[in-house]
This record gives sequence, structure tokens and C-alpha cells, in this order.
Amino acid sequence: MARLNDDAQWIILMGFLVSFSLFFLAIVINQSTVVGQTIAESVVEFPKNDIRDISHVIKEHAVSNGVITDKVHRDILNLSIQRKGAVINYTLTHDTNYHSLITYNNGVTTYSENWTSD
Amino acid sequence: MVNDGGQLYTIEGVAAGLIMLLTAYMVVGATTICTPGDAHISDMQLEVLGSDALTMVDTPPNSSMAESPLQLIIEDDSGGGGRFKNMFMNYTNVSGFGPKHDIQFSANYTYEADGSIMSAQINSSRNLTGGEHAVRVTKWVLVNKRLPPAGPLEKRAVLVEVLLWRD
Repeated sequence: MARLNDDAQWIILMGFLVSFSLFFLAIVINQSTVVGQTIAESVVEFPKNDIRDISHVIKEHAVSNGVITDKVHRDILNLSIQRKGAVINYTLTHDTNYHSLITYNNGVTTYSENWTSD
Repeated sequence: MVNDGGQLYTIEGVAAGLIMLLTAYMVVGATTICTPGDAHISDMQLEVLGSDALTMVDTPPNSSMAESPLQLIIEDDSGGGGRFKNMFMNYTNVSGFGPKHDIQFSANYTYEADGSIMSAQINSSRNLTGGEHAVRVTKWVLVNKRLPPAGPLEKRAVLVEVLLWRD
């Protein structure tokens, strides 16, 4: 048998390894584009309308002389937890202006607001 | 001693290797088609539409009215449901001169009574069969109402919930 030259075996082996790893990385990067949250999903998840709505209704209650010992306060806190999955708390004060302090937390987004009327 | 006689062989080998890698990658990549779920796009659009329509129902039409139509509908014990249905479907199905949309709704409001959460139906465009892919929009409304019906008349907060879906 003619003498085989097996000097370059390491080089060839390393070449195979590098090419397989490149191939694997390319597949991983390719599949990464379909993972994660779509844009529309993030838009739906952010509670923009919920926050604006609760902020408006609390201000509406504040300027009609609402207090935090009335039924509305209990309604809002309980209905919010039970039906909206959001923990809300608010305080109302009234001197020369009306003041409201609202905190909102739906587990993903928190919001707090301090408002004073003119 | 370094001899550059094999350069062309090397370049050819590298190029051939890259072409083979690229081919294998394309073949494997073409076997799977993964689409990111885009059901959320139509859900989001429907939710925005419903939220806007519900806000319109909750807005007094002029400055001389102290209460919004939605407040009056909820405070009306003899059923403002028909009024709600007309207003709401008018807002969601307006499309100029084109074909009508097929947006259906089911509306109710929830309130607290005697320590538990109750809900009362406002109206619906048709009965739910359970197979609808619906989104929910909500609106807080302050009303003067007896909740429960035997209770005192006082200012309360209720949550109007409307389920929207396309047929």
C-alpha cells in the first residue's frame, strides 16, 4: 500500500467543527426572529385605555366632592381587582383645589398619578 | 519554509465549503415555516374600535346635558338596552357607503352588592354560542342607582363590559 500522509488530520477535524458550529449558529439566529412578543401583542398588553379610564373616573368623582369613605371607593377597588385584575388605590383631598393621588398595578404595568385641579 | 503554491486550492476549498454550508442551511430552513402569531393585530384593532365606540356612548352630546347616554342607560331600570344597542352598533358598523361590518357585541355591567360581585345584562346583538373569538372593552361609569335593587339610592361606580367579536 502506498504510504498515506496523515499529517493534516487535525486541521481537517477543526475545519469540520468550525463549519458545523457556524451552521448551528446560523439556524439559531434564523429561528430567533419568530420568538418573542409581536408588536400588536405588546400594544394589547399595555393598559393605556384602562389607565386613562380609571384616571378620568376618579377625577370625575373627586370634583363632585367624592371621599374615600364612600361606596364608590369600595366599588372601584373591588371591581378593579375582581374584573380587571388590577390593584388600584386612590386618595382624594379637597382644600381650595381638588387633589387626587392614584396608584395602579396590573401585575405588568404600574402607574401612579398626583393630580390637582385649578 | 512557506510555499504559496497552494493558495488557489485553499481559496477554492473555502469557497466550496461555504457554498455547501449555505445550501445545507437553506434546505434545513425551508423545511419549517414558523409564522409569528398575528391574531393580535386584528384583536388590537377591534379593541381600539370598541373602546372608542364605548367612549362615545359615554360622552354627553352637548354641554347642556349633565349625564352621558351611558349613565342614563344604566340608571334606567326599565331597560335602556335598546338604546345602547342602537347607539353602539351605529358607531361600530359605520362604514360610509360600503358593506356593513359584521361586528357583534354583548354588553353587561358589573357592580358590587352585599359583598359579592353581580352583573346585569345591558343588551347583545345576538346570543353567545361560545365559539366566538372576542375581545373585551370596559368603561367605568358613575351612576346614581339602587344596587341591589332593594338598596339605598346613592352614587355608585359600575364597570361596563362589552365583548366584541366578528362573525
